[in-house]
Amino acid sequence: MKTRLNALLGSVVVASFILAACGPAATPAPAATSAPAATVAPTEPAAQAATDTPAAAAPDAPTAVPSPTIPPPILTGGDGCDPAATKITWFIGLGAGSNADVVPLEKAWVDKFNKSQKEACLIMNVVYNTGSNSYDALRALIAGGNAPDIVGPVGKAGRASFQGAWADVSPLAKAAGVDLSKYDPKLLEFTKDEDVLVGLPFALFPSFIYYNKKLFDEAKLPYPPQKVGELYNGKPWDLANFQELAMKLTVDKDGNDATSANFDPKNITQFGFFEQWTDARGIGAFFDGGIPFDAASKTAVIPDSYKAAWKWYYDGVWKYRFMPNADYQNSDQFNKGNLFASGNVAMSWVHTWYTCCFDNSKISWDIAIMPSVNGKVTAKLHGDTFAILKDSKKQDIAFKVLSQMVVSNELAVMYGGMPAVAADRPAFFAEKDKAAAPNKINWSVAEAMLTYPDLPNHEAWLPNLAKANNLLGAFRTSMDQTANLNLDEAIAKLKSDLDAAYKEAK
Amino acid sequence: MSTAARASRLPVRPISARTRRQRMLGLLFLLPWIIGFLAFQLLPILFTVFLSFTNYSGSREFAFENFDFVGIENYQRLTQDPDVLPSMLVTLKFALIGIPLGLVVPLGLAVLVNSKRLIGSNVFRTLFYLPTVIPAVAGTIIFGGVLNAQSGWLNLALKAIGIADPPRWFTDPTWAGFALNLLAIWGVGNGMIILLASLQGVPTEIYEAAVVDGANAARRFFSITVPMISPVIFYNLTIGLITAFQFFVPALLIAGVNGDPQKSLLFFPMHFYRTAFPLSQLGYGSVLALVIFVATMAATAVLFFFGQRMVYYASGETS
Repeated sequence: MKTRLNALLGSVVVASFILAACGPAATPAPAATSAPAATVAPTEPAAQAATDTPAAAAPDAPTAVPSPTIPPPILTGGDGCDPAATKITWFIGLGAGSNADVVPLEKAWVDKFNKSQKEACLIMNVVYNTGSNSYDALRALIAGGNAPDIVGPVGKAGRASFQGAWADVSPLAKAAGVDLSKYDPKLLEFTKDEDVLVGLPFALFPSFIYYNKKLFDEAKLPYPPQKVGELYNGKPWDLANFQELAMKLTVDKDGNDATSANFDPKNITQFGFFEQWTDARGIGAFFDGGIPFDAASKTAVIPDSYKAAWKWYYDGVWKYRFMPNADYQNSDQFNKGNLFASGNVAMSWVHTWYTCCFDNSKISWDIAIMPSVNGKVTAKLHGDTFAILKDSKKQDIAFKVLSQMVVSNELAVMYGGMPAVAADRPAFFAEKDKAAAPNKINWSVAEAMLTYPDLPNHEAWLPNLAKANNLLGAFRTSMDQTANLNLDEAIAKLKSDLDAAYKEAK
Repeated sequence: MSTAARASRLPVRPISARTRRQRMLGLLFLLPWIIGFLAFQLLPILFTVFLSFTNYSGSREFAFENFDFVGIENYQRLTQDPDVLPSMLVTLKFALIGIPLGLVVPLGLAVLVNSKRLIGSNVFRTLFYLPTVIPAVAGTIIFGGVLNAQSGWLNLALKAIGIADPPRWFTDPTWAGFALNLLAIWGVGNGMIILLASLQGVPTEIYEAAVVDGANAARRFFSITVPMISPVIFYNLTIGLITAFQFFVPALLIAGVNGDPQKSLLFFPMHFYRTAFPLSQLGYGSVLALVIFVATMAATAVLFFFGQRMVYYASGETS
């Protein structure tokens, strides 16, 4: 009797172990979106979702372990749709849009949209992106023949991971009677991937110079220009004068600036300039747009503008010392990578989304235009839009939905991007002003910089994108870390490594 | 007649129903482990072998048609991969410094906190063990700050004592490997505790007899203490070797997937990780994983073959 009881108890315990081991995870994923996991980390903070790239493509990034608290994917059921409406699936997860605080707003927008018309029934499929899981989920959907119709908001880098998968919306726009001439041709150009218009301009993130007014005041230097063509201190706002200003704003612990003979580069307490949160292509775009790939020969070609920009950057770090090397970048004094937020960097080149990442009201700041390089102003651009997959079987209806999405001010505000439609911008900037108060920011700079995008864009597709981005990221790290780098040799090696990576691509 | 032959002629006693039930019960209790081993260890290992003959990319759907078989192509690639040999050397260099450090430092600390002359030995034991309870990720991030060339307190201390140009620990390839060796010392608390327990198990009579015979402290340490605790030293050595061959997380956090600066921290497991996951080449990545597996097994086998001969077992059991 006792033995039987023991056996019974033993069986119950064993069964409970097995059931516990085989039971569902805390956050189960539906089969449609389950995909092999990969562990990655964004190069830039999560708030900068607009330009998120799959971790695989992220250069020199610390690796984040997937959190067990990742929100489960969300699939809405199309409540409130007309029974005869065509179901259009909207995949959210490659950029902004999957954060927990945004999803309810998106749902509300979708509900309102579904009730407002009878042609389309919009269904959301939200996959929170941590690392590359949402990319894997979308790949699985496409490969499984269940491609969603609309994907977005998605930036150039996100689209590059699905190169060739996007439908050309030009004929769809023509069929739907959407007039494309109302958009700035440069923005339309920017929304093209390999000459195919994959969406309509929607949320934009131009770049410009963030400057710390307090540090300018301390140095008794005038603030940088806020209009293209404006002089700085009576001199043209060009590379030479920009560099001179940055050097004057770089200070050592004894108060000597970088133009002084007594300047101590080993004890710098304040830097004049930094190109924050970008990779080697982003640095290259300071001089001009470009792409390190020749489509005709399918080989690596490093644009001359990139080479010159890299040399200028490298000298700025190691020779003229107005930009921080890796040791300074990761130090406590410079806020471990988020340098402008430390209050010890006078000027930083970042995009509109950077307002996410420092205390807008605590630092005394404003924005300035990019200096000209060889007579040309370039402000690298990030932008999110909605795109239609080629595999969508309802492209015409999907485009009609998309054309409503890109003109929705609610969605633009939701995603924090500057609206492509100029009329919607005052409301957007008013929100930004609230966060920046008591600072009064001259947002006309952001609008002005929108007209100087880097074309080709620094996030454009490259063959074997993950490896190419890895090589470009490593190159920037090497510039930041290595004091006696033979830059010409390093560039030659980068070119040869990129060539090999391109050849690997199938 | 050999023992085996005699044994084979012995009548086989029938197993009682109770014994059979007890065996079944025992197996039943082992079942969760057996299932866990099969599902989460053996199966993944076998699947890794399978993947190593395919060009499966992690960016494609996990479906059979996406596993293109490439024969031994991935194994051939191993010989042409320019990062294989340097990353092996990084791991080897780390092991050559880290394993002796991982033995000597905890042994020294164990001897120290075992000393009767140390006041507040329990406090020191706790303090030395404390870093072990801090998660590796948090510890590494803290260490990254401590060893920052500009604001890290180590360099600030070095500057304070007159070293004007202290090392750029994690940005200079000359120092980066050694800096990680320093970081690894962070977790010697476990080794120290095990060695301390072992030290306290050495019979005091042996020391008393040695003192009577005129043996000095050094002689007592090398002729009594070390042989008596040699099984534990050997255990720590084996664990240290396996850990060194799999050293990964701190290096990844400090150096990123490329093992910067200039690949000086590209450990072999990191090369595997970068290939298999960020670059999504799971086929070739599986080959690299198998290399780690085989190399660790081989090194452990060599260690057992040669090392265990030097181990003294008080029970008389020697290899």
